[in-house]
Amino acid sequence: MRNIIEIKEFFAEEGILISFHGSFSHGIIEEIGSAVRRHLEHERLERGIVADVFAVYIEQTQNVRNYLKRKNFLDPAQSSAIVLIVQTEGEYLLCSGNSIAREDVPDLAARLEKINNSDKDALKKMYKEQLRKPLEADATGAGVGLIDIARRATGKLGYRFDRQDESHDFFSLFVKVGGGER
Amino acid sequence: MIDIPATKSSPEIKYSEQENTLTISGESYPENSFAFFQPLFEWLHEQLERKAHLHVSINISYMNSSSTKCMLDFLDLLGDTRKHNCSIDITWQYERENDRALELAEEFQDEATVPFRILPYHNPDRHQ
Repeated sequence: MRNIIEIKEFFAEEGILISFHGSFSHGIIEEIGSAVRRHLEHERLERGIVADVFAVYIEQTQNVRNYLKRKNFLDPAQSSAIVLIVQTEGEYLLCSGNSIAREDVPDLAARLEKINNSDKDALKKMYKEQLRKPLEADATGAGVGLIDIARRATGKLGYRFDRQDESHDFFSLFVKVGGGER
Repeated sequence: MIDIPATKSSPEIKYSEQENTLTISGESYPENSFAFFQPLFEWLHEQLERKAHLHVSINISYMNSSSTKCMLDFLDLLGDTRKHNCSIDITWQYERENDRALELAEEFQDEATVPFRILPYHNPDRHQ
């Protein structure tokens, strides 16, 4: 075990406000969300920024939870995920990371690519079209989470896929909120 | 009768017989939005068959994307006059100081097939 103070100093240097690593439950998502919101309200930020950070956090963590629940990975290396909220001058970076089955990567990468190539008006149109699509059986989400995230984000979504083992990649998503035009 | 108390991540849904008003208020990001809103849809289907009139009052400051889908389906059902003869009037209230809550209401107004009024209210506990 590294010395805790090293971890603490690392967090402080990086501007990490909150991090959670483990198995996401709805209760944990709720509690961390409330804590984040209280913290941001205390900072006397513009209300819209607080609302966007909270909304992006909720979509990111619920996406991760829904995906991992559906996949039911047995190995803790794959069933646990991470979320970080990083504060840098005037802006917030929301980062999430979770394992993804390799066969699901091309579809997700294509969706992210499409989102990043769309301006805000196109995103609004995509969002509305997706809301009008009938749900697939046993759906837990409406498939609009990533579009909602992109609409609230400043600039493009950052993401990467890193090889984890022969059948899994690790998906990281970086979303900037505040510090410029949505 | 429908009377679902609010939780941290789900709104209160309540019908008042006296005022013939269905109220939905709070925030909505439950674990499973579709399961959460199911009782509302069941209740509403029944009511629309037998009622001539219904007031609906909505005050939601934030909802996640899957709740948004449910809300749109809910508004479409209210507006579907091929399916019922109940006359509906809807007001959507938002806290005047909350831009995002107004944005949310306006997006629904844009997209929903049923008309509704958007009314601001002032929250005296907020100083901003």
